[in-house]
Amino acid sequence: MEFAATVVILTCTYALLAAGVVILYKAARVVNFAHGELAIVGGYVFYSASVLGSDSLWLAIAGALVFSIIMGVTIYMSMLRRLVGEPLHVTILITIGIGIVLKSAILIIWRAERLTIDVGVAPALRLSGGASLSYMDLASVAVTVLFFLALYLFLTFTRMGIQFRGTAENALLASQRGVNVDFVLALAWIIAVIAASLSGVFFGSRAFLSTESVTIGLAGLIAALVGGLDSLRGAVAGAFIVAGTQYLTVRLIDPVLSETVPFLLLLLVMSIRPWGLFGTLEELDRV
Amino acid sequence: MSRNPYTLRTSYLEGNEVLRRPYQKVLVGLILAVALVVPTAASTYFVHLLDLCLLSAIGALGLMLLTGYCGQISLGHAAFLAVGAYTTVILNTHVGAPFTIVVPAAALFGGLLGFIVGLPSLRFRGVYLAISTLAMHYAIIFLATKYQAEFGPSATAGMTIPDPSFGSFVLSGDRPWYYFLLAVVTLTTVGCMNLVRTRPGRAWMAIRDRDIAAQALGINLARYKLLAFVISSMLASISGSLLAYFSNVVTVEKYTLDLAIVYLAMIIVGGMGSILGALLGAIFITLLPFGIDALFGYLPRSWRFGSTLFGVQAGAVGICIIFFLLFEPKGLAEIWCRLETYFERWPFRYRPLDTARR
Repeated sequence: MEFAATVVILTCTYALLAAGVVILYKAARVVNFAHGELAIVGGYVFYSASVLGSDSLWLAIAGALVFSIIMGVTIYMSMLRRLVGEPLHVTILITIGIGIVLKSAILIIWRAERLTIDVGVAPALRLSGGASLSYMDLASVAVTVLFFLALYLFLTFTRMGIQFRGTAENALLASQRGVNVDFVLALAWIIAVIAASLSGVFFGSRAFLSTESVTIGLAGLIAALVGGLDSLRGAVAGAFIVAGTQYLTVRLIDPVLSETVPFLLLLLVMSIRPWGLFGTLEELDRV
Repeated sequence: MSRNPYTLRTSYLEGNEVLRRPYQKVLVGLILAVALVVPTAASTYFVHLLDLCLLSAIGALGLMLLTGYCGQISLGHAAFLAVGAYTTVILNTHVGAPFTIVVPAAALFGGLLGFIVGLPSLRFRGVYLAISTLAMHYAIIFLATKYQAEFGPSATAGMTIPDPSFGSFVLSGDRPWYYFLLAVVTLTTVGCMNLVRTRPGRAWMAIRDRDIAAQALGINLARYKLLAFVISSMLASISGSLLAYFSNVVTVEKYTLDLAIVYLAMIIVGGMGSILGALLGAIFITLLPFGIDALFGYLPRSWRFGSTLFGVQAGAVGICIIFFLLFEPKGLAEIWCRLETYFERWPFRYRPLDTARR
């Protein structure tokens, strides 16, 4: 039971991260190596906002939301917009650069303190086998499900969602048909950063926030690649597989290996199905 | 040293000349002369910094061949430095091998592992390749952590290495190391320069620009990609081994993903696809944290916090990456080319066509 609970919650954290990576790749053909940093900084902002707002949950949520929107728009408008049409490795390198800057922001602003977000960590539900779920854990599952549901509805039924998918398919054609591509791509960044911040908050409440915990971004990236870089369904499946293997590695083999084994799993998937479990085959050449 | 794109060339052979103009020969001679004289005048601290620059220049040259010339992004460069360092540790503590055997052995072992890490490049490109090198990084670092936990004085303390000796001469102290490293870097630079203007380098550039077209031209993709990985990891491994001897201590905490990114920053700042760029970038990025440290000395005391300094030092590397990618994508080497062209043509903006040949 404890196994199931831990894996499900870890899956939620990774699935949100992987969803952000997938959205950015689909919309803007950017592979974001700064996702973990965005997530952890989001978590820190949530924490600080809740401290400043005298433990008000709503203020914390608002703070993290405002941060995500500003961050997403800034990154897109000041950097990635200038790099449209550049080779993929340039965008990889620039996101690595963004990651370093964000990490140093953690050092400067929060003095690299190890923080745990303690909003609603009281056990809410006791499971058989001594495991218990806190309110935050339940919230993380609920929020993840809601996030994916909302994203599905947005992409399928709204006018904006159709424009979004059009841009993902062919940005040039979309802009010629009157879609505001800049707006769509900025929106993609906003959604991705919001998802990242959410996962940062969940991770920070279950474990801790520090400069080391930015490696969850790599786990999210691996989850996206295992599931297929252009598939949202794949993001969830990949997140589940990565979370499961990581948990089993820590439990059965060696905690030090928990960062390595997902990579080995990814190498295995890549040598058999390079386009991932749910990805599309013809996408691969563009990578 | 780097091929100036603004110079008119009228034959293919001209494109292959290293030092085209007489003043370039004088300049290189001058730089070497200054490099030889500097340690006699400078403080020990400054010579120490120069040693660090030279050490990272070897690794940066290796990464430049792989990423700048062959176009294969590698996030596993720190792992190869670790391979060199740990080969040195193992051969020293268990076999007691001398310096003259350890360094070639480190190069050999690094090359072998480079071959293995390069194998995925035959199948993957771009992100997938970057991720697979990242996987290798974590695998190698895991082995190094296990080794240190097993044989080290404790799980966290580093392993010590004695100063290298040739017969009765012991290489220690910053000044002797400086001359030794200067010789190594000069040799490596000349070697790399010749490598990139002969067949392998031309094949790498063709692969970087378009691999399918390169294959159509008859370039054996597998062979040249693997060659790039092997040579790059050999250089990194040599650099790691020398660094281990230089600092006399090896800890696994040093070889993080951040270190690999610092090396990427060196070649971005220096300028992709330029040997001169690798050297300039290595010097720039190595001196950057020390420069910031010196600047922090001027700040009021209340501003000086340990973690702020670390944060600014780390963040400066990221800002350099972003700045150069956005505004100066060809890096410091390009700035050098522009300066050179400006003075060469002064007071004109263009060189008349018929006097282009000297």
